[in-house]
Amino acid sequence: MVQSYWRVVWEELKEHRAAVIGLGVVLTFIVIGLFAPIISQLFNISPYQQNPLQRYQPPWSTTELPLSERVLLVEQFMETHPEEARNINGMLHSLDPVKYQTTEENLLRWIEQSYDEMLKDLQGLPPKQQELLQRPIVSRIKTFHLLGTDELGRDVFMRLIFGTRVSLGVALLVAISSSLIGLLIGSLAGYYGGWLDHILMRITDSLLSLPLMPVLIVVSALSFEKLPILQMFSQGNWESIIKLILILVLFSWMTVAKLVRAEVLSLRERDFILAAKTMGARDFFIIMRHVFPNVMAPLLVAVTLGVGESIQFEAALSFLGLGVQQPTPSWGNMLFNAQEFITEAPLLALIPGLLILTVTISFNYIGDGLQEALNPKSFKR
Amino acid sequence: MLRYIFFRLLQTVVVIVALSFFCYLLLNLMPGDPVEILIQSNPKMTPEDIQRLRELYGLDRSIWEKYSAWIGDILKGDLGYSRTYRVPVSEILLPRLGNTFILSLSALLLSLFIAIPLGILAALRVNTKVDYLIGLFSFGGISTPSFWLGLMLIIIFGVQLKWFPASGTYSIENPDNWLGRIPYLVLPTLTLSYLSVGRFIRFTRSSMLEALKNDYIRTAIAKGLPRTKVIWKHAFRNALLSLITMVTLSFSGVFSGATITETVFAYQGVGKLVYDSILGNDFNVAMVSFMISVSMVLLFSLIADLLYSLADPRIRLH
Repeated sequence: MVQSYWRVVWEELKEHRAAVIGLGVVLTFIVIGLFAPIISQLFNISPYQQNPLQRYQPPWSTTELPLSERVLLVEQFMETHPEEARNINGMLHSLDPVKYQTTEENLLRWIEQSYDEMLKDLQGLPPKQQELLQRPIVSRIKTFHLLGTDELGRDVFMRLIFGTRVSLGVALLVAISSSLIGLLIGSLAGYYGGWLDHILMRITDSLLSLPLMPVLIVVSALSFEKLPILQMFSQGNWESIIKLILILVLFSWMTVAKLVRAEVLSLRERDFILAAKTMGARDFFIIMRHVFPNVMAPLLVAVTLGVGESIQFEAALSFLGLGVQQPTPSWGNMLFNAQEFITEAPLLALIPGLLILTVTISFNYIGDGLQEALNPKSFKR
Repeated sequence: MLRYIFFRLLQTVVVIVALSFFCYLLLNLMPGDPVEILIQSNPKMTPEDIQRLRELYGLDRSIWEKYSAWIGDILKGDLGYSRTYRVPVSEILLPRLGNTFILSLSALLLSLFIAIPLGILAALRVNTKVDYLIGLFSFGGISTPSFWLGLMLIIIFGVQLKWFPASGTYSIENPDNWLGRIPYLVLPTLTLSYLSVGRFIRFTRSSMLEALKNDYIRTAIAKGLPRTKVIWKHAFRNALLSLITMVTLSFSGVFSGATITETVFAYQGVGKLVYDSILGNDFNVAMVSFMISVSMVLLFSLIADLLYSLADPRIRLH
């Protein structure tokens, strides 16, 4: 039976149980990350909603928003639904003229009362208006927190879900782009050899000998305004994330470059490359058509292991307060905030770390499984 | 051989100089300088004062001038002053180097002590439950974020059980009591060693497996040698070759410090010093500790190559 190469690899990978479990875990987290906004919609909880009076609530608790935050919700509602807001104001007046003396700003008076009284007044409104107020205001005022709240009273569960998005997104982007850079540099150095190889490899080795963590700290503390080329990245809320990705990519392509170079060096002398050369193929064609497919296997392993490593570095830098900046949640900066109150709220520190550990270990097992599956010696035909 | 060492040393020096310039450039791009900090703390300063201070610190010169002045001082043995602590760099750096050395060395030894037997055991019992368990343990080590492990150990053993101090380097009452330092070392050592244990186990396991695959092992077993003799005399000795490289390369980290672990435990080592000095704009301290760790990495990779060729006569360096 003729099987394609990747089919064989997949069959082999399926034998490696830990890798399959890891793959499942990783895919689950990727789905959670992709659908984070939808999950937030579903539970009607925002990861950014603060609640200064309900900080560090334990898991499985219910909190009510203070007046200042309620006012913001109502103001937002009045802005998006001006017509209905006026309508409801009038209805509240006719419902209880003693409490709501004028026909204006009754929504603001309505939220000043306790939650139960609010509900009682809500019952008096027609069903359509009840429906309108339910999602944007009522259900946001009293919220259930599966994993409690953090140092600003934000929902930990939602922040973890949005943190998945940031942490995994950063790690995947870093691993893929640094592998592409490594692929480019490694194949150039390996294929052309000579002085180009010499220069590229000296740069690679030098970067490898730098103490990584301190250098990352320095580079993250740099203000990008001083470097004109990078200025375009230093705008908007994505600044800290883009900066982090750039920094991590800059210092993580070296191992891939060395790996690819070694692979290309051994490929260069093979007969099929010689055959292609004699037939007059251009270098670009040979590299694209004959070299790249052959380095795909080790590259794939490197990308997988690279994701795990990038998650760790993102977390470490964010933990030192130099990575992803508040209010955007990432697993690393959630840990950074948790460390001040580890005695009162140890769970805040426990969960993000466990997630980092779970995802990294999954990626490492996938890498391990791939390595075994891609090894031609282990093929069973 | 001597020729090889000479050229490698020469190359190493060139790389160190190039990297020192790179680091110097990087640190110069950091926002803020000491004069700006002084301006913030003293609003009465006139522009003339600022100009005078900049000249005094040499901040008005170009990067090349500053760099050549700095490297000239270094070659004369003057490491400069710390801006934060107002003492010569060597005065703060030396005790920190000592602290880091104790911590990193004990972590390295502990992890080797755990990892090598476990790695060998996993290789001998390959694809059994024992192998999988050891594999899980080592993957855990590779995948655990160091700061998180540190925090968890602090919560469990420092805060809840109160077995060990949660952070610090020595007790304030008697800093000179060396035995009194041991409790402070336990948690950071555990953290640091678990991180490297994973790598070491996997490395030992794979090199042992590689060695066991050789034909002479099959021959040795076939001719009826006792199992222990085959394992220790034939397989382990050959696996030892790559272990030497690994251990030597790990030694390069003994002086560069573990930034994150030391920061979490507030351990007064080089790693924390580097972190503080970068954030506190303490230029000279950061530069010198950078250079120490870069030189260590390069030096130990040279030593690893030499040891490798000494241990394996088949390898000729040229």
